[in-house]
Amino acid sequence: MKTTAADIMITEFSTLLPGTPVIDAIKVFQETSKKQGRRLFGIIVTDENQRLAGMLSMYDILLYLRPKHIHLWGTMEDFDIAGVIDAAGNRIKNILVGDIMTPEVVTIDAGANLMMVLDIMIKKHVRRLPVVEDERIVGIVYISDLFNHLLDQISH
Amino acid sequence: MVVIERKNTLRNLSVSDAMRRQVVQLEQTVSLDHGINILIKYKVNALLTIDAERKPIGVVSKTDIMGAYYAGLPIESPLEYIMVSPPLFCHSEDSLEAALELMRSHGVYRLYVLDSESDKLVGALAYPDIVGLLYQYCRQCEFNHLNILKHHEENDSMRRFSVREVMTSQVKSVGRNETLSSVMEELSAHRFGAILVADDDGAPCGVISKTDLALTFKHGVDPQAPAHTVMSSPVHTCDVELLLEEAIRKMILTDTHRLFVHEGDRGNIVGVLSLSDAARVRSGSCHGCVSSRIKVEDHD
Repeated sequence: MKTTAADIMITEFSTLLPGTPVIDAIKVFQETSKKQGRRLFGIIVTDENQRLAGMLSMYDILLYLRPKHIHLWGTMEDFDIAGVIDAAGNRIKNILVGDIMTPEVVTIDAGANLMMVLDIMIKKHVRRLPVVEDERIVGIVYISDLFNHLLDQISH
Repeated sequence: MVVIERKNTLRNLSVSDAMRRQVVQLEQTVSLDHGINILIKYKVNALLTIDAERKPIGVVSKTDIMGAYYAGLPIESPLEYIMVSPPLFCHSEDSLEAALELMRSHGVYRLYVLDSESDKLVGALAYPDIVGLLYQYCRQCEFNHLNILKHHEENDSMRRFSVREVMTSQVKSVGRNETLSSVMEELSAHRFGAILVADDDGAPCGVISKTDLALTFKHGVDPQAPAHTVMSSPVHTCDVELLLEEAIRKMILTDTHRLFVHEGDRGNIVGVLSLSDAARVRSGSCHGCVSSRIKVEDHD
């Protein structure tokens, strides 16, 4: 019976450094998604010593791509979306992971009870939790893994 | 004294019609490093700082961040070292005109909005949001050049304003090998948001904005580094004969705050048009229209 975070966490995962250009981070999203066979929506950011520095999530990137004057867009039917994406792509060239990552990340320790993990994910609206031991990241618990594990238990 | 046109689009509008409900606020003890991260991510020009009781206590703008960079403050310093205190407030039911007047008299570009009844913080009113509002009105007008094109091909006989008539024709630039410190001196001396970088022949090759400088501060770049290593390029430009609506539309769609204006050859820069300066004069190009502009005196 799996009862703790350590039981369902994955231990092979990509990480980013705060100094990595966002353009390169996007490639890591794409390549890791392919390798793991699951769409990745967030990557952990660590310093050189594997200590947690933050998380770069899909939202951080989307927030950066969102046009500043978005409230005006409803009145402009003639905008060129390709041109807008080009402009965003050009702007993102100088941006590093540390510039737009979320620095505050909720973490759990390896011994955390699965129901506690579930509770944190619901209350904090997070879909992945880094598992930390001695300030180092040892794994990640994904909400989908937790969900599938619980469904299997119920259908037994 | 308030200088307002009698026919003014902003008349009868209150602060709550134009403000943003999302206020970017951070505790005053948070580091500059974290503050810059939030500025960049949310594309705002200033942060509201709050104390431990979450009471608004100060404002940190990109200008303040540039000052910290120039002064050599460590990036780990807390926001409270550089914040300007207290923040300026208005109420959600105040008229937009009164709010603009308050901004003008204090030489600032944003106010924080308190609910008229509860006095709780409910939003932020920034100059660019009002500029956007004016543009929106202008877009809805049947005489707007972009709408005329859509409805009747090219039979618009109205005399129209072009970028030439609205732009600022004095353009400063710095040499590509000048230091970031001297770039910052130029920006603060002239109260610019950005400056053109010119190569050895004087041709424009890039732009450095306060946003770029906040980023180089965060990236640990030495203020003695030469301008060309951190400038963004290419330079966003437009032709001096372009109609105003087109230029403003271009800035809004590409999230640029200013266009450098060229005449003839693209390298021949003759002026600069900023999004807020454009709205101060007019948002659209119709000669007859006096309503779509913000009537405020220059901030100084």
